[in-house]
Order: sequence, then C-alpha cells, then structure tokens
Amino acid sequence: MFIRNTWYVACTEAELESLGNKPLGRTICNEKMVFFKGPDGHIAAVEDFCPHRGAPLSLGKVCEGKLVCGYHGLEMGCEGKTVHMPGQRVRGFPAIKAFAVAQRYGFVWVWPGDQTKADQALLPQFEFFDNPAWAYGGGLYHVKADYRLMIDNLMDLTHETYVHATSIGQPEIDETPCTTTVEGEQVILQRHMSGIQAPPFWQMAMSANGLDPQVKVDRWQICRFTPPSHIMIDVGVSLAGHGGFHAPPEVKAYGVVVDFITPETETSHWYHWGMARQFKPHDAELTNKIREGQGKIFNEDMEMLQLQQANISQWPERKLLLLNIDSGGVQSRRIIDRLLAQENSLEITA
Amino acid sequence: MSTSDPTQTAIDANGTFEVHLQKSSQTLKVGKDQTILGALQDAGHEVPFSCSQGVCGTCLTQVLAGTPDHWDMFLTPEEQEANTQMLICCSRSQTARLVLDL
Repeated sequence: MFIRNTWYVACTEAELESLGNKPLGRTICNEKMVFFKGPDGHIAAVEDFCPHRGAPLSLGKVCEGKLVCGYHGLEMGCEGKTVHMPGQRVRGFPAIKAFAVAQRYGFVWVWPGDQTKADQALLPQFEFFDNPAWAYGGGLYHVKADYRLMIDNLMDLTHETYVHATSIGQPEIDETPCTTTVEGEQVILQRHMSGIQAPPFWQMAMSANGLDPQVKVDRWQICRFTPPSHIMIDVGVSLAGHGGFHAPPEVKAYGVVVDFITPETETSHWYHWGMARQFKPHDAELTNKIREGQGKIFNEDMEMLQLQQANISQWPERKLLLLNIDSGGVQSRRIIDRLLAQENSLEITA
Repeated sequence: MSTSDPTQTAIDANGTFEVHLQKSSQTLKVGKDQTILGALQDAGHEVPFSCSQGVCGTCLTQVLAGTPDHWDMFLTPEEQEANTQMLICCSRSQTARLVLDL
C-alpha cells in the first residue's frame, strides 16, 4: 500500500525529451502509466493500456500530441479518451484512466490517487531549483527494493562508513551520536562532527571551492524526511571552528542531497537523486564531477538494498532489529503509516 | 394504417418483441433478457458481430419496418433518429415487431 493522494516524481522533463517521439512507460504505485507530450506541449499521463486490446500504449509513438498505439494505430488523447482510429468510429470506446501531471523544477510530477484531489498548490517547494545562486546535478536509478528501505538508508547515514568507505565514509560518523526530531510531518535527523579530516569526496569539493583539503573540518549531515518520500540532506564541511553548518560560505563546501523516492511496486522503486550546491554554481564541469561521484556512491547503496530486499523477500517472517541509529527511518515510516491510515479511512467514509 | 400492425404497435410491457427476417421469411421471438443477436444465433443464423456492446458497428443491420430502441454508441444521433439501421448486438425495439433485412 502506498500514499496515493500526493505528488510523486515520475521522471525528468529531460528524460521524456530524450525519447523524441516515443512515450515513456512507467509504473508508479503499482499503476502502469504512460507519459507523453500533449498537443499544447504539456505532459500528460494515462493508463498504459489500450482500450482496444489491452496493448501497452508505451510501445507506440507520439504524433501531433496524440499517443498512437503501436498495435493498431488507435490514437489516445490526454484525457484518456480515444480521439481517432483508422476505419473505426471511436465515440463508444471506453475511456482509460488519466492522471494529473505537473511540471516543476525540471521534474514531471504525477498524482496517482483520487484525481479530484490533485492540487498543484500541494507540490513541494525548494529554494535551490530555478535559482541562479544554486547548481543542480542528478540522476535516476531503478532499485529493486521496497522504497522504504531507501528511506531507512537515507535517514541513517552510519552506513556511509561501510558502504561508502572510499568516498564519504569515515569512522567518526559511527562515533558521533545523532539526534532525531519530529516536527509535524517532517523528521529531522542530524549529526555534527568536529575537528575531523574530510573524506575524499569532500576533499575534492573543498579543493573545487578553493579550500585546503588537508585541514581539519567540522562536518554535518542533516536529513529531512517529508511525505510521501522526499528526503533532503544538508551535507558539507567547513574549516574547523567556524560554526560548522552555520559557518560563512567562504570557509565551507556544502550542498543539499536531493532524494525523490517513487514507489514502483512493493519491492521496487524509482530513485531520483542529485545534489544542489551553492558554491561555484556556474561551474558545469564541477557539477558533472559531483554527479559522477554521487552516482558511484549511490550505486553502492543500490547493490546493498537490492540484496537486502532479496533476503527479506526470502525470509518474510524473520524479525529485523531496529537500533538507535534507525530512529530516523522508524519515525519516517510512522508518518507514512499515519497518512496511509488517514487516506484509507477517507476512502471508506467517502 | 391498421393499429393491428405490430410494427406500429408499442412493445409488450414484459419487454419481449418479435423480429421478422425479410430474406429468410422467418420470425423470431426476442425475450427481455435476450439480444436480437442472441436470438439469431440461437436460431442458427450466422451474422457478423464483434464487440457485442454497441461500439464497433460490425453487426449493423438495415431496418425495413418497426422502430428500433437504440442503445449503441456507434451510430450518430442523426443516424439513430432515422431508424433505418441498428446494431442488433445491444439495441432493441420500441415496437412489437421489427423487420430486418436479413
């Protein structure tokens, strides 16, 4: 079960653009959807199911804003109504489901649940997108694991020491306790380390920002979960003794790790990851370098999570441990469960 | 015109009507839970059909007398008002008798 009356990131505008006249088929919250650009240039999403013979419309192509089925040429419109089909009268063709779509920050957002509740005012807002003071680079992974395992992973960064030993991991993460707080629907988990050596990824970032990578730093990780499954993590290092997270920009290298986690099925998800940064925002080469580094690091998580899921699927009855380092994930799942219960009770009384 | 002409008489209250097939000079009874297509098939007639829900137009049949009760989504409202053709998979009759070009 997933929270359905909410916006999820389905894809980037660039991903759809890169397909040319092909639509994009994507399963979100167990709903098979197909995304395409309609006649007015806005992106639309309908069920990936041709009302004629059930063929996946995502195998078709987009022609003048209509989605043409690749099986017999049925032309589907943005609202889920068949517009035309060679040699047929389409007036009585049953409609298929259409999903509300919003385009913001270069992402395509979709509302899988009750379409009458879809409201663009509920889209999350971020200061670092569409902002010349910030740069953003990111990517997409398809992860064969429950999306909540990714939430657990990002809301507990002690794993960095082991999974990312050669890039961002360091023993001081394990040694420094973290605090978890819940503010309404937001879970904040933070850890502040003082007077440590920066790990390789941050040494690279320090050099890029004109700082000596060998000097001692203060390092912070502030993970913020908001429903349904967005996690923004303030990360960075500053020259030791300047106030850490609150240090002035010239003595630090820092950014926000952006995680949009979109459930696909119970045991798989789409993971849009990236980093927004405020230092050297116009340095495209640096953006690429960070993206490449982050991509490698997150690939290490993917391997771990997929095999973790395989283990859990093989032994569903086994109880797992939740330790003090897991409280961020525990609190996040609690919020998800609460919203799920709310949504389901609304459906029952509706 | 005689009021006893069943193609001019309103359908029975129980929803049954009869269909006369002009070419084969045969008359079939169509029960209230039966379609014209079903009655034809039960009587051994092979007629073209496909969707069985008034969408595709495969079973389009010319009406020679009587008034159909159109239930389909294939004919335009104008075509339906003309009452000269019908989809026998789902449409029924307003009159006690329909004469079809079958």
